[in-house]
Amino acid sequence: MTITTGVDGGPIEAYCAQRVFRPGPEVYITGNPYRRPVGSTGVGDLDFSTPATEAEFLGYRQLVAGRILCNAYESDMILLPPAGLATAKEDFDLFYSDEVRGLRDTIRPGLERYAFSFLDDAVTVPPVRTLEELQAYFLGEVGGAGAPADHTGNNPAVDTGAPVSGTMRAITECRHAEEAAGMHLIQLALDALTEASAMARNLGGSYGVEQSELFKIFNDEFGYGLYPAKHSTIFKGMLASVGLRTDLHAYWNFYLTSSLVGVNYFNWLTEDHRGVFRYMAAVTYLEWLFAQGFADTGAMLRTVFGDRVDTKYCDEHAHIDIHHGRMTYENLLLGFARAHGELVIPELVRGIEDTKLLLRLGDEDFRAQIRWADTLEEHTRLGASLATSTRDDEEVRRLRPGDPFTTRVHDADRVIEVTDGEVDVHAWATDRPHRLGRGDALLVPRARLHGLTAVSATADVAVRTLEGNLT
Amino acid sequence: MSRVVVMDLRRHNTVLVGHHRYFVFEPDGRPLLVRDWCPHRGGPLSLSRQTPDGRRLVCPWHGTKVGTAAVKRTSVPMVRSGDEAVVMLPDVDADTPITVIHKRILANLPPEAEQAKTVPCPPAAAGVHE
Repeated sequence: MTITTGVDGGPIEAYCAQRVFRPGPEVYITGNPYRRPVGSTGVGDLDFSTPATEAEFLGYRQLVAGRILCNAYESDMILLPPAGLATAKEDFDLFYSDEVRGLRDTIRPGLERYAFSFLDDAVTVPPVRTLEELQAYFLGEVGGAGAPADHTGNNPAVDTGAPVSGTMRAITECRHAEEAAGMHLIQLALDALTEASAMARNLGGSYGVEQSELFKIFNDEFGYGLYPAKHSTIFKGMLASVGLRTDLHAYWNFYLTSSLVGVNYFNWLTEDHRGVFRYMAAVTYLEWLFAQGFADTGAMLRTVFGDRVDTKYCDEHAHIDIHHGRMTYENLLLGFARAHGELVIPELVRGIEDTKLLLRLGDEDFRAQIRWADTLEEHTRLGASLATSTRDDEEVRRLRPGDPFTTRVHDADRVIEVTDGEVDVHAWATDRPHRLGRGDALLVPRARLHGLTAVSATADVAVRTLEGNLT
Repeated sequence: MSRVVVMDLRRHNTVLVGHHRYFVFEPDGRPLLVRDWCPHRGGPLSLSRQTPDGRRLVCPWHGTKVGTAAVKRTSVPMVRSGDEAVVMLPDVDADTPITVIHKRILANLPPEAEQAKTVPCPPAAAGVHE
């Protein structure tokens, strides 16, 4: 299916033009889980007919496709505002309406092809064919990812006292470490506030003992039917403890492209049941890695926020994912391989390879975002020095307080120059956005998420592409 | 307050007390009414299987091994007369619903040979985590 839209409009434009998907004035969206702006005007004109390549993974079209797909997948979940529906009933009716769902069903296959086809080219599936080869492959992969098995050979080893490293360490080393840690929690929130909802799509049907094994994991995720123990509930506790909002998608504008693609991948595989084997392997790989991963996340959060952070969510995962790592490995990954043999083993391996790539790309995206957002002063100085090295492709915008707000990325390095007034640059969720005054110019590297709000009664900005690429 | 329930052990092996469950556990052939609750995450010990040596139950949720001695310590007072048992349930409000039913109990079955292959649990699983 080819989806293109032109000036006369098409299904994507019609979908994005829905009230709930258009930007409003809010930087943070609270009390209404149906409001999730896709982008500024013109998103309906984007061409998604040619799949994105790996090189285009962080491009603007991937961001827009990621937002639309997230909306599409979540419109088959039940979402209600915690303070009651009274102020959002009209948006509830629209979000779940026949028209929006009809458009969703029309545009989704083409957008999935656009967003995920690059995996076909970018992922090389090693020749694993037998159960024994699959065991050796999996344990080799998790060991290589820094999450080896413990002495039993069946559980992921966890060292809760391990020093933080990698991205967790990079967060602690930021000058604005609390904002960087908050940005990390926000990326987790994209999935954690609806935790295991994608998994829930695989609970129905009739597929043998593996179905019951998946349900045991789901049972843990949902806190055994006790709301205070539900993982999404304890995640909210963690957000609240560091002063972050707990409403679903309050930070919609701050989800990175890679985060959207990563979460959409799991929704895609559970919406399209041909993806069941890839999903089961992908979830096995993640559950195994989460055990040490959340021990590290908890350590990072305690380093950044001290005693005030509630890390119960991380502690819970550092414990229960030892079990889930074993349970998914033994009973899902190997279970499906035993039950269906060589017919499905390549698909299982593909799920792990896809996930490895998405994790790597996501890590790179996040690291680049916090590196840039943490050094906006330097990038403002750089912007000033590079202002004369830009192309003659100036886009001029006049901003006013209360204008529709949205965040975006550019496909090339750009310089944003304030020609009149003052603007705030939102590069991550903070009460202290970076302020630019008249004459200031900010270098925005390609793929870096940002949004602008006017501080003065009016503010004029000119956006120009940098000659050549710095990044 | 305590509540007293009379059970016919030929017909009943499970007592539902509000949100709590008890089941008739017979580790030595002598019936005891014990909590149907794994100390790890609350899994149904009535559906657990015995380890090959019969000294522990393997919870079906996470494979946690719980000593039968620990399970026996959760038993409530019971007076038997033939197949009739009078049990005293401690700390139960007067308005808490109590139901006596029959369920399949796997914990009283002899160990299966395949239980010897039970996947080892991590040390953390041995602790109580709520």
